[in-house]
Amino acid sequence: STSRVLSTEKNTSAASKDNTIEGASKSQQGTAETPKQKLLDIIGSMKVEVSYRKKLQQLKASEKKKQAVNQLNGPGSESPQRPTEDIQGGKLLNPDLVKAASAVASSLPLDKKQTESELLAQLRRHEETTDRQKKGEIINLRNVISEMTVKRQSPAQRGARISSRISLELDEDGQGIRPERFSSQSFVSRRYFFFFFVYRSLKVGKRLNIFTKASTEPEHAMKTVSSPTIWDLEFAKEIAAITAQPPRNGFEEMIQWTKEGILWEFPIDNEAGMEDDAEFHEHIFLEKHLEGFPKEGPIRHFMELVICGLSKNPYLSVKQKIEHIEWFEKYFEEKKEFLQEI
Amino acid sequence: VLPSPRSGQVRSHYVDWRMLRDVKRRKLAYEYADERLRINAIRKNTILPKELQEVADKEIAALPRDSCPVRIHNRCVLTSRPRGVRRRWRLSRIVFRHFADHAQMSGIQRAMW
Repeated sequence: STSRVLSTEKNTSAASKDNTIEGASKSQQGTAETPKQKLLDIIGSMKVEVSYRKKLQQLKASEKKKQAVNQLNGPGSESPQRPTEDIQGGKLLNPDLVKAASAVASSLPLDKKQTESELLAQLRRHEETTDRQKKGEIINLRNVISEMTVKRQSPAQRGARISSRISLELDEDGQGIRPERFSSQSFVSRRYFFFFFVYRSLKVGKRLNIFTKASTEPEHAMKTVSSPTIWDLEFAKEIAAITAQPPRNGFEEMIQWTKEGILWEFPIDNEAGMEDDAEFHEHIFLEKHLEGFPKEGPIRHFMELVICGLSKNPYLSVKQKIEHIEWFEKYFEEKKEFLQEI
Repeated sequence: VLPSPRSGQVRSHYVDWRMLRDVKRRKLAYEYADERLRINAIRKNTILPKELQEVADKEIAALPRDSCPVRIHNRCVLTSRPRGVRRRWRLSRIVFRHFADHAQMSGIQRAMW
């Protein structure tokens, strides 16, 4: 998650002001035009899905922001004016956006500081996605929309959730959603804007080069001494003899025998030791091997009978059958002069 | 190396020379089995010319004498007794009786009816 945060921060820092203004205008229109009820209706109707990782990041961001804000504002003061600078990301949010966020937060009957920080986090995220879109990254909207579902959180249980989520983060790879866990928890999504986020693979973003690829060393095939020496073999035999303890009971004895090949493996495999990868047609249609023979005459007749017999033989492998035929070929080759006399 | 807990007779030789000769015959017969089969296939034929078959006769006679499977004799595995050997157990009747009475033959019981 750290690499992800860094990469997003880099992206956000590189964003131009035009994007912020565009985004700001959009969101401002949204908050200014639609009254609170309309907004809430939209949020309620939409089904949005968030992954745990994203949520955790948001939470962390919101917590940090809260701490920073508390430090700045002092205890107990809730000024609607928020500092325009985003403390964590270093990115400049439009002051209008911030004002709108604070207004929404104040309008909603929930913890205002928290809502504000979360809204700002959402806005930041929105900016990031728009930046990425501007940069030409392909976002498959279909995938995104199909993956969206409801996420809700009860405000009272947040504190308990944070710790559980921190432990959960270790389990996830940041890609998928765990529907079982989500169904067990119930959220209330009123305070969130709906937002898009794109599923990313693990390879997106700048490489941190923390882990270097194991350099593929050329295998040391060439040794000065022809491997292995007799002493090496003797040593290996010694070690094997010492480590091979005599069997303590009948089971170990049977295991040893099975390893040596004295005892069959159970359940008995009828085809143990037989590795015939050839198809049936290679066993039966053996005429193609008869090319070395004359096309007429008693030899051909004889060989056809041989092939007929081989095709019915289930006990030989294809190799053995071919060897059989080749032996006859060689034999008749040697006897050729003799045969021509006849 | 610790000695194996099983203590039994260590037999490094075959029981007698006849058994050893039988072992040699079996090995040779295994080696030449394919060739013998093929040459016999040429010999026992009505299609091929007779001259060819006579040549094959001579060839098979030229093979080592111990390579023919007919010379193998099923002797007792433990005592090398040539007669009175039960094929299923490869043991002579005396050895078989000895083991059966000591209950070392699986599934064998004294008959009584």
